[in-house]
Amino acid sequence: MTERLPTPLVRRAARAVALTPALLVTGATGAAFATAPNTWEQGPPTSPLHVILVLVVAPVSLFVIITLLTYLPSMSRNAGYHPGEVWRYDAQWFGGPRGGVEALDAAEEPARSDEPAAVTAGPTRGGASGRW
Amino acid sequence: MAGGDPFSSAQRHEIDKAIRDAETLSRVEFSVYVGRSEGEPRAFAERLHAALATPDRSVLVLVDPSSQLLEIVTGAQASILLDDAEVRLAALTMQSAFAAGDLVGGITRGVLQLAEHARRPQLRHVE
Repeated sequence: MTERLPTPLVRRAARAVALTPALLVTGATGAAFATAPNTWEQGPPTSPLHVILVLVVAPVSLFVIITLLTYLPSMSRNAGYHPGEVWRYDAQWFGGPRGGVEALDAAEEPARSDEPAAVTAGPTRGGASGRW
Repeated sequence: MAGGDPFSSAQRHEIDKAIRDAETLSRVEFSVYVGRSEGEPRAFAERLHAALATPDRSVLVLVDPSSQLLEIVTGAQASILLDDAEVRLAALTMQSAFAAGDLVGGITRGVLQLAEHARRPQLRHVE
């Protein structure tokens, strides 16, 4: 079944060619001639204060600055009405006339003359009242 | 009266959206007033209601957090769609939410409930 290689001579030559690079690489290199490592040069002495400044104070202040940057906007915006508090705000009119409550006061003055008209319009209105 | 904004922009958006949704749902105009009422609350609410662009087709909801009272005024046409019993139901919903400390939720739910009631087809069997 299997086709055998033509001659043993060719096979031997092929094996030699395949091994040559490996032999060359391992044979050509010499021993490593590295000099023994020097120790680090001794720099100027650093004070413990400086060490603390760089390793403790700087990171901590970074933490603080980032935290403040994160929370300050929402803290200053907070305000807002919380139920149960005293209402200390201007009136909010959603879907009201353009001028808001001021427009109401302005429209009120001339309307005062036809007070009876408002009364007659009264009964057609409906609604409900409640407290909580 | 101090200025400032009682609602965050998200809450404001929530209320605006509830009003918009209610109006598309019911074809009744809604307006919500949150603040101190001046003088007699019912009369003040009716004054506010009269100042709206189309009072007849409008519903005004007055919420006064400082004296904890609620007034709902329906215009002449709106009151045909929304009878007073239905308005009282919505008012109850709002009151219970307010009592639980949920101002914005009470407003949005109340307005939507009013719209739900106003949407109901009014034409009954006419034979």
